[in-house]
Amino acid sequence: MRRALLWIAAALAVAAVVHYFTLTATPGFIMNKVMMKMGPVNEIHHMDRVTAASRGVVRPSPDLLYSVCPFDLSKGALHVTAKVPVGTYWSVSIFDADTNNFFVKNDRQVKGSIDLMVMLPMTDVKMPANSRQVLSPSAKGLVLFRTLIADENGFAALDAVRRTARCDLVRPVATR
Amino acid sequence: MRLIFKILGCLVIGAALGLGATWLAVSRMNLGAVSDGPWTMSLLTGSSQSGPYLRANIALHGLLALNRSETVYYTADHDSAGEWLDGNCIYRLEGREPSARWWSITAYGPDDYLMANKYNLWSISGETVQLKSDSTFAITVSKHRAPTNWIPVTRGRFSLTLRLYNPGAGVVDDPANAMVPTIKRVVCVS
Repeated sequence: MRRALLWIAAALAVAAVVHYFTLTATPGFIMNKVMMKMGPVNEIHHMDRVTAASRGVVRPSPDLLYSVCPFDLSKGALHVTAKVPVGTYWSVSIFDADTNNFFVKNDRQVKGSIDLMVMLPMTDVKMPANSRQVLSPSAKGLVLFRTLIADENGFAALDAVRRTARCDLVRPVATR
Repeated sequence: MRLIFKILGCLVIGAALGLGATWLAVSRMNLGAVSDGPWTMSLLTGSSQSGPYLRANIALHGLLALNRSETVYYTADHDSAGEWLDGNCIYRLEGREPSARWWSITAYGPDDYLMANKYNLWSISGETVQLKSDSTFAITVSKHRAPTNWIPVTRGRFSLTLRLYNPGAGVVDDPANAMVPTIKRVVCVS
C-alpha cells in the first residue's frame, strides 16, 4: 500500500513538472509560431488585405490593414519609421517574445510620422536625432501597424501611406 | 525489468496528466473575463500580467491584441438567451452606437477565421451601419442575404467580435456595462 502511494506521488510530481514547463512555454511557443508565419526578421511585411483565406493570426479584422515586423535584437537595434495617415485610426504596437504588449501609440498621440529605436538595455547604437528609444524586455518580438480602412474610395492612398513604414537593423557602434 | 516498466508507466501517466492540466488551463479557463449580456471581454487582454496562467491565457485568447485603453474586444458565441450561435438561424443585433471613436462587429467561423462568402462581407462598422431615425441600429446575421446591415455567416457554429477602438472612458472603466447590442434569435431554418 505504501509503495503504491509512493508511485502515485511520483506520477503526480512528474505531472506537476510537465504542467509547469508546458504552461510557461506556451506564450513563447505561440509567439514563435506567429513570427515564423510572418517572414524574415528585421524586415517590414505589408500583409495582404484580410479575407476568408487569411491564416496569419486568428480573428483578424477585415476593416484593418496590417503591417508587421518580426524582430530579433540579438545583433543590434531595430529602427522603426512610418508616416502616420490623417483622418483614420492608426496605431503601432510592440509585443515581446511572451506576447506582452509593451508599447503602443496611435494617430492621436503621434502626428506626421513616427521614429522609434527598439533595443535591448545596454545596446550601444547611434541614435538618429528625432528617434525615440523603446526598450524591449526580450530580444525577439513583433512590431504591428494597424491602419483602419475608413473609406473604401481612399484605399489606394491609405495603402500607399502604410507602405512607407520601415524596419531596419542598426548594428551596435562597437561591432560595425 | 518490472521496475523499469513501473518507472516508464509513472513517467507516461505523469506526462499525460501534466499535459492535460495545461490543455485545460489554457483552453478552458478564461481568466479576467467579464460579461455584458451575451458578450464577454477580458480585462487582461494586452496587459503584461505576471504568472504563468495569466500569461498563457493572454497568449491564447488575446494574441497581438491591444490593451483596453486602446481597444476593447467583446466576443459572443451565445445569443442573449444563452443558446449557441448557429449559422442555420437568423439573428437580430439591436442597440445603439457604442461609445468609441470607431467600432465594428465581425463574424468568425469555429476555426476563428473569417467565413468565405461571395460578397466578401464579414463585418458592419460605424462607417457602414445604417442607423434608424432614433440613432439605434438593427443588424441581421444570417446565411441568407438581408437588404441592409447584414453580416453573412455559414452553417454551423460561429462567433462575433465587437471591437471598440479608442473607447470612451466609461467603457474603459466599466466594460461590463457598455450598452453592447443584444443578440436575438429570430428563427432557425434548415
